[in-house]
Amino acid sequence: MNTKSLKSRIRQNRTVYAMLLPGFIFLVLFAIYPIVWILRMMFYQYTSFGDFNFTGLKNFSTLIHDEMFWNALKNTLVYAFFKLIITIPLSFVLAYFVNMKLRGRMIYRSIYFMPTIISVSIMSTVFYLIFNPYNGSVNQLLMTLGIVDEPINWFGNQFAMVTVLLIAVWGALGNYMTYFLSGLATIPTDIYESAELDGATGWKRLWHITIPMMAPITQTVIMLALIQAFKDYENIMVLTGGGPNNCTETLYLYIYRLMFPMGDSYGNVVLNYGYGATVAFATAIIVGIITMLYLRWSRKMDETF
Amino acid sequence: MGIKARTRLTHGLLYVFLTIFAVVILYPVVYVLCGSLKTNLQLMGGGSLLPTTWEFGNFIEVWEKANFAQYTFNSVFIAAFSTAGAVILSSMTAFCLARCDFPGRKILKNLYMMTMFIALGAVTLRPLYTLAVQTGLQNSLWPIILITIGAQGNNVFLVTKFVSGLPKELDEAAILDGCGPFRLYYMVLLPLLKPILATVALFQFRIAWNDYITSSVFTMTRPELRPLTVGVVQLKYGASAAAEYHLMMAGAAISIIPMLLVYLLCNRYFVEGTTSGSVKG
Repeated sequence: MNTKSLKSRIRQNRTVYAMLLPGFIFLVLFAIYPIVWILRMMFYQYTSFGDFNFTGLKNFSTLIHDEMFWNALKNTLVYAFFKLIITIPLSFVLAYFVNMKLRGRMIYRSIYFMPTIISVSIMSTVFYLIFNPYNGSVNQLLMTLGIVDEPINWFGNQFAMVTVLLIAVWGALGNYMTYFLSGLATIPTDIYESAELDGATGWKRLWHITIPMMAPITQTVIMLALIQAFKDYENIMVLTGGGPNNCTETLYLYIYRLMFPMGDSYGNVVLNYGYGATVAFATAIIVGIITMLYLRWSRKMDETF
Repeated sequence: MGIKARTRLTHGLLYVFLTIFAVVILYPVVYVLCGSLKTNLQLMGGGSLLPTTWEFGNFIEVWEKANFAQYTFNSVFIAAFSTAGAVILSSMTAFCLARCDFPGRKILKNLYMMTMFIALGAVTLRPLYTLAVQTGLQNSLWPIILITIGAQGNNVFLVTKFVSGLPKELDEAAILDGCGPFRLYYMVLLPLLKPILATVALFQFRIAWNDYITSSVFTMTRPELRPLTVGVVQLKYGASAAAEYHLMMAGAAISIIPMLLVYLLCNRYFVEGTTSGSVKG
């Protein structure tokens, strides 16, 4: 194609470009500009308004020796691992059951999906009361049933991460159940019918037909869940603020606190745009690498089985 | 044991299992709805789920004294404009990407795809906050509206797929009649996009109504701009937090009841929309 025809094609499409412009402005402003900003700010020390200087790779050497960063990375991995290990099988089981021809299955589906439409911050506030060690319903229930003798400190060092995880699972189950349901709907019914003729029912049917046929969709669901688990921090911010002693602080929360160390966050972090940008960049790379490793590993699993 | 009895038994166990989960999932929501009608003393004391006295006055108190009338207005304002903006932007962009052959189409499509995979979290709010201060927008709700609209990558992707599924003959007939791209979009295709745009609107409404992080960053020094989510969470940090459990619950109820109503009416769109964008084999 020569330049003349390109020029005339551009001119021909003037209206189209005009229609794309508003969307393009949003794209530049909210997706591209922040990325460029981060890529630049990584090399600067920028601590207060109008006062910043080029420091080269200093932020990266800070990162390597930053205990808070490694702690947040460890917590993020623990959080993501346990969230997936609990949520994925459980949401599959729920999907499998509400996909059966049971009376009232639509009601169950709607109930399980409900947490995904309600504000995470509001529900975290509510859970904060429900898990309150002194008068929360969880401790009351456990003590009435005689499971524990004295109240559990759900937001203490020992249990804070468990509490955060339980609440995260509550919020996520319905979402992944819905993904699995759409997968189950794609399995043709005649496969089940012919299996039934061969005498495969119940567990056999689940093990030999449903699970293998769901493998590809499960891979996608795990990937989506993995990326989402790394991104969660609104719930943790409201529930624990990363505490106590940073034991529930994740990477995204740490970035937030470097960028806006006021309001909800505690005072043990100092405002530092430049370094915050470095941590954000490192986090994006880490999430990217883990996602890629997972994709390669799951493809290998495909070939083996 | 006969086959029939066995199926009945397994079904019974199944219902027990499903119902236990349903109760666990529903409990916090019921806790809010009932808690919003309790006295503060009742909430502090724990005990029964149902309120012993019905304190409808909680709502009046939170509405008038805790400034929730303002917070509700802010939430409605943010959600309305954010939803309208998302529908217009995503449909117009998706139409061009799916139906118009212009130089740069491939690059633009890839840029939109890219935005779906890069998530940087709160870091993006810092340059945008600075930008809002420079343009003087930080004293209004507009930064929150614009940021919740964002790049629209997901929605553009969703609508583009839908437009591609519509028959091309529609366009050809309209172009023969002398329609330009804008009229083709506005008169011919837009009416056909209703189902997918309903999903887009619903999802955007959910994002904007439930937004907490962007709103809390942009309203840290301006309490009068807070939406409901920030208003409720702030009560947790308030100086007299322990004395205001009942206000917290009433505020939370004001925030979640509209969402629950929307969900009751449009539950199907939510479920379809959740899966149509991301999972396809």
